[in-house]
Amino acid sequence: MLVKDYMTRHPLMATLQMSVVEAQKFMGENKIRHLPVVGDGKRLLGLVTRQRLLVDPARLGSLSVWDIARTLSSLKVSDVMLKVPEVVTIDSNLTIEEAASMMVEKRIGCLPVVEKGILVGILTELDLLAQLSELMAAREHGVRVTIRMPSGVSGELAKLVSAIAARGWGIEACGGSPSPKAPGKWDAVVKLKVTMDEALAALGQIPDQEIVDIREV
Amino acid sequence: MDAHKPQTPVLDIQGLAISYETRRGDVPAVRDVSFQIKRGEAFSIVGESGCGKSTVAFGIVNFLGRNGRIVDGRILFQGQDLVGQSPEELRRIRGDRIAMVYQDPMAALNPSMRIGDQMAEVLIVHRHMKPREAEDACVEMLKRVHMPDPANVVRRYPHQLSGGQQQRVVIGMALLNDPALLIMDEPTTALDVTVEAAVLDLVRELQHEFQTAIMYISHNLGVVARVSHRVAVMYAGEIVERASVQDLFARPQHPYTQGLLRCVPRLGSDKRDSVLYPIRGRVPSPSALPPGCIFEPRCEYAREDCRLRKPELRQLYADHLARCHFAEEIRETVWQQPEDLLAHIAMPPDNTAEPILRVQNAKTYYQAPSRKLFSREKLLVKAVDDVSIEIKKGHTLGIVGESGCGKSTLVKTIVGMERPTGGEFEFMGVDISGPVSTRKLDTIREMQMVFQNPDSTLNPSFSVGYQIGRPLRRFKTVPANQVRDEVVRLLDMMKLGERYYDRYPRQLSGGEKQRVGIARAIAARPGLVLCDEPVSALDVSVQAAVLNLLLEIQKELGATLAFIAHDLSVVRFFCDRIAVMYLGKVVEIGPSEAIYGPPYHPYTEALLSAVPIPDPRAEQKHVRLLGAVPSALNPPSGCRFHTRCPRKVGDICEREEPPWLDNGNGHRIACHIPLEELRSMEAVITVPSASTRA
Repeated sequence: MLVKDYMTRHPLMATLQMSVVEAQKFMGENKIRHLPVVGDGKRLLGLVTRQRLLVDPARLGSLSVWDIARTLSSLKVSDVMLKVPEVVTIDSNLTIEEAASMMVEKRIGCLPVVEKGILVGILTELDLLAQLSELMAAREHGVRVTIRMPSGVSGELAKLVSAIAARGWGIEACGGSPSPKAPGKWDAVVKLKVTMDEALAALGQIPDQEIVDIREV
Repeated sequence: MDAHKPQTPVLDIQGLAISYETRRGDVPAVRDVSFQIKRGEAFSIVGESGCGKSTVAFGIVNFLGRNGRIVDGRILFQGQDLVGQSPEELRRIRGDRIAMVYQDPMAALNPSMRIGDQMAEVLIVHRHMKPREAEDACVEMLKRVHMPDPANVVRRYPHQLSGGQQQRVVIGMALLNDPALLIMDEPTTALDVTVEAAVLDLVRELQHEFQTAIMYISHNLGVVARVSHRVAVMYAGEIVERASVQDLFARPQHPYTQGLLRCVPRLGSDKRDSVLYPIRGRVPSPSALPPGCIFEPRCEYAREDCRLRKPELRQLYADHLARCHFAEEIRETVWQQPEDLLAHIAMPPDNTAEPILRVQNAKTYYQAPSRKLFSREKLLVKAVDDVSIEIKKGHTLGIVGESGCGKSTLVKTIVGMERPTGGEFEFMGVDISGPVSTRKLDTIREMQMVFQNPDSTLNPSFSVGYQIGRPLRRFKTVPANQVRDEVVRLLDMMKLGERYYDRYPRQLSGGEKQRVGIARAIAARPGLVLCDEPVSALDVSVQAAVLNLLLEIQKELGATLAFIAHDLSVVRFFCDRIAVMYLGKVVEIGPSEAIYGPPYHPYTEALLSAVPIPDPRAEQKHVRLLGAVPSALNPPSGCRFHTRCPRKVGDICEREEPPWLDNGNGHRIACHIPLEELRSMEAVITVPSASTRA
């Protein structure tokens, strides 16, 4: 699961000449929240976000009403965009977890994907969220079981998987992470196409592991 | 999966209208064209010549020429309207984000620059890359387009590559800048069928990888069925139908689409599927359009209302639009097949007839210019090398093969335009292996030829009537005072009419010129007519009309026909026997039905796998030939096909010429593979049994 597989190729982009007013309209019409600005050869020059379009009142403080209108209408994206050295970009060969951690770390919602400075795609938080629900097979019906097991002990997940395999069942989705509220434990989530009773019977008796949540979805 | 991504189409054309300014006023070449292409989608515009499909493409890239203007509509490319942009902006958008591939790769490549330099130019100019870096990127791209030996190819010049390789280079160049939209205007029309198949495979693969939106322009319904997701059919400047590719072929709603699909030969399960039913009438000129529906004069279902009101492009059902007032009421099953056409197929040829033409061990070698300046070496191009065929009276023999196989040379040798180097040629009991000048007038009269390119075979200085009359006067088949009447009779037979007598070739369309060529060939009532790809240069509906005309004439005159084609689907319903040629030799020959089912010669199998079928449901084997046709200067030893044969048995194919295997009923295959094994091959094409045609 690499960035190049999940990014949006050929994203909508703007050139330096586009006015702020046009950019706002463009972003609204096309329902996008991030607009990369490119130059020749699709070289990334900057990034426009909704926030960047809000003009700082301090800039306009001293102007008269007419001047404000004139200034606003003459503003180009190059005046408000986040310029390139500050734009956080990624390589298309990164994993999506790396991309996700970067977004969390820098508190940003969008990562333009570049190759040698040329824009080749864009990865947004929406892409990652969509991927998360794919990971957990959100669209599939079945029984979703969360099982808590000790973390740091090898073979625990294997025990779970063997229990499922012993019944000849298939695993629709499988994921896990350290338990949010129980240190030293790890929560595995599996989705199975079986009944609640069958799942309880198969997975309720694994030593050192307990079912903390089970539901039909 | 991509529902959360922005849904803005890469290309959104809304109500586009383009006109050309001429001295006589504005000509509305394109009217009310609307469609969308999404990211990663392949959209085809299909139509015959003059329908305006290329004009739409030129309008998008602002290539209309000085007198072309967009008079209405919007062209939204990635959300931005291209109409009204400054030339500077347009140049940047066209360079970086839209790429175009044309029909003739040789015209797109600079003949005086090396391939590597031309490709690198794209990157250096648009992306300001350094030359070294650019060249590496080009080698990478050549690998992506499956070019053998890319490091070497970048050093070569365009003329040193084959047509298929040149087209790969052009496609690679187009994709270097990772365009969001790739426009392809008939990119495979000039290529051989097997090469075309490989290039289409490449386009599909690259599209998937690069997620490029593709706008594919073609007149070939088979190609469209193979490469597209959605299709628009254009007629006389308007879109008449628009739907997904499966829907369009399975349930065509507009009468023009239905007619077009009936004109296109289909490699179906039997001969009946291959019958062609032409559309009556002609395409209207854009300066003289019908007042109501533009298709009304040619439509079999036309009503009064159709002549009065222009229909809108309206939705008939999910994602399927048609420009017709009464499309729902037209049931295709109501359409009647013309009985006389079916009668032609039903009549089997007379197998007891005597052969009218007998060719044994024909050889035609050309002398090629020596590569060295002073040298005694004799270079021979073995264009036809030991070919034996015979045609019975009243039968039709189809000769099929790709460029360089020798089919044209064979026919020219028979008719006397080329000197044979060896072999026996007997026509109507007369030996014709000597020079043409030694043939009796009567022998010459009995063998006539229809040529491929109607433009170059009619003398532009003489009227149509004069040219058709010339064989009548030369061979004195009718008294001098009856020549004109006979010419008029011939013009009527060609469905042209007396008013064409005084016209000049430049006033005729391609189809009309070809009919004149046919009239001229049959004027003196020859016994044998040789046709060298007579319909390849014509539009699909015109092809159907001309082929049916040839059939009619054959029946009326009792003539024998030899028909050359490069396309196996065209000859199926038309010919009694078919010979498949490769590099100067016949590899398979037999009754036409036998050729389309197993056993196949491996080359025939590859040809059938390559032919694009205008039916997305058809399942077709995917046999692709590697490499290019070897040079006839130095043909491979043993079986000539062994360098590319996917079923090569072993060394024996390289050492020995293959024997003739007899499959019975006159069907013979030249191959080392035992007949039993060939018989157990799977059929190349399987079409789901329910036919949608009446």
